[in-house]
Amino acid sequence: MNEVFAGLYQGFGVALEPMNLLYVLIGCFTGTLMGALPGIGPINGVAILLPIAFGAGLPPESALILLAGIYYGAEYGGRVSSIMLNVPGDAGAIFTTLDGNPMAKKGEAGRALSLSGVCSFIGGTFAIVLLSLFGPMLAGIAVTFSPSDYVALMVFAFTCLAAMVGRNPVKTLLGAVLGLMIASVGIDANTGVARFTFGVPDLLSGIDFLVVVIGLFGMGEMISLVEQMSSGKMNVLKSDKTFVSMKDMLAVKWTVLRCSIIGFIVGVLPGTGASVASAVSYGTEKRLAGESGKESFGKGDIRGLAAPESANNAAAGGAMVPMLTLGIPGSGTTAILLGALLLFNVTPGPLMFKQHPDIAWGLIASMYIGNVALLIINLPLVGLFVRLLTIPLKYMAPLIAVLSFIGVYSIVSNPFDLYMIIGFGVLGWALRKMGFSLASVILGVVLGNIFEDNLRRALSISAGDWSILLQSGTSILLYILAVLILVLPPLFGYLAKRRAAAEAELAASAVD
Amino acid sequence: MADRILGGIALAITLAYAFFAFMVIRAPFQYDPLGPETWPQILAVVAGLCSLYIVIRPDRRGFHLSHGTLGRVAVVVVLLVLYAFLYEPLGFILATALFCGVLARMLGASAIRAAVFGICFGAVGYLLCVKLLALNLPDGVFSKIL
Repeated sequence: MNEVFAGLYQGFGVALEPMNLLYVLIGCFTGTLMGALPGIGPINGVAILLPIAFGAGLPPESALILLAGIYYGAEYGGRVSSIMLNVPGDAGAIFTTLDGNPMAKKGEAGRALSLSGVCSFIGGTFAIVLLSLFGPMLAGIAVTFSPSDYVALMVFAFTCLAAMVGRNPVKTLLGAVLGLMIASVGIDANTGVARFTFGVPDLLSGIDFLVVVIGLFGMGEMISLVEQMSSGKMNVLKSDKTFVSMKDMLAVKWTVLRCSIIGFIVGVLPGTGASVASAVSYGTEKRLAGESGKESFGKGDIRGLAAPESANNAAAGGAMVPMLTLGIPGSGTTAILLGALLLFNVTPGPLMFKQHPDIAWGLIASMYIGNVALLIINLPLVGLFVRLLTIPLKYMAPLIAVLSFIGVYSIVSNPFDLYMIIGFGVLGWALRKMGFSLASVILGVVLGNIFEDNLRRALSISAGDWSILLQSGTSILLYILAVLILVLPPLFGYLAKRRAAAEAELAASAVD
Repeated sequence: MADRILGGIALAITLAYAFFAFMVIRAPFQYDPLGPETWPQILAVVAGLCSLYIVIRPDRRGFHLSHGTLGRVAVVVVLLVLYAFLYEPLGFILATALFCGVLARMLGASAIRAAVFGICFGAVGYLLCVKLLALNLPDGVFSKIL
């Protein structure tokens, strides 16, 4: 416990430096802005702005504070386009549209925006408190992990990803393997052998992480926007003077608490972030609401709005836990943040709290400040963000392309990379169109080298004996968890179906 | 159908990848039991199984694209390639002004608005990034003046 307070003390020292405080505010503001723009979610915002933050030569803790601010700021901002436009910024905001937009249509836009703002704040802050309590503890356990345990952890992470993200687990897995394959291009660090470079000198050092990120999430998003352009005009609903009341908050207090917990847990699971969290929490709340929920959910029920909003912000905080303590990102966006840390030569993982406490605790402290700042930004200034929704796509699409070009070019000044991001953009657009989850690809890219290194290290220790992978209790436990995650959801589904069938039969026989 | 095609493409790429992983990559000498080729070999096997599964049991999800939409996407990609091609020779300001102007016009802005948008964005973007953030962008034709 003392360690936590000492860490937070040090962290607030870093986060309250005037420049860092400024970066928190800039990050939160830009993030809300990015999130509020229709079609652009947290992952796109962080991807587009990461290279610019990197190129501007910020010190690592400031850059990370800025990028994290954009991340959870965008989770806040996503609700604006969901409520006012019925267009979710990303998958995590889909469930906000279900009850948020009907509320706005009923003339309660102000109430919906302020209620969801407060819920976001509670969910976000709840997650950070848990992060600061459990982060160091988990890191303490993870320090003892051997390379073979890490291999098991990776297997667990990819299993979670395949089981919970996207509709088709095989496609999600293929996407992740595609990411791992992309990461295998370049010179092998252990032997100096060039792999999959085909004599192209630009590929010797591997495919740059930034190029993949900007290609998939910047360029790909821009192509998607252009593709969807003709699909009807968007109607921005009018914001009004209604506001959230104390009565509303009391009515949803248990919903918010439950969904914050669900969101945090889902966020902590490696690979699954805000989109899964909001889906799970909305479903849970609807079921708990019973008969009254069946009627009102989807027609502007405040519980249906509070649930996904508190969950997705809690998930954003929860996703930071495995990233900071294990070096394994909890979501697609934290995968990009992890890549950002690697760019700054900071290796995230259990030792980070010891080796770079200023970065780890500075980031955590900045998230406390950021959440308060976001609440302040979001309640009175929400009208400004609503007005920004009216930026037409015809100007937004070129804007994203130019920002992506600036980002890639300003770092290495290699025109070859410009063609690469266009290629990855087309790839990302096509994959998404086919129902692949791009988050799994980026997770593969980020984890590729760590996965391979740990596997090779484990087998070096055992002199080539593969059974070392199954020798420690930790790794066996992780494999069992991975199997459970694969097997349990279909099993529950099957049992529920059987019970329903049995009840139907019983009812039928009673009629007879 | 679209899924089958995609699975087929993925399978083809995987086979090419597997060819290199199994036949080409060799380390002249190595100290650890797993050489540089083992990891790609594992990946190739997993990717191959996944793509085979998609070919055999595709989703019912189609690739709904009208010709007009596909055409628009193709034009955007061509514009992007041209933008990349002209980025260094013309410099950021001119290339960006051209790209933004043409794209905005194509997406439905009036000619005058598109031109104003392009030129302003090129100039303001350059000033903001180079002078304020000290990022590196190509000067191109303006290299003597700037």
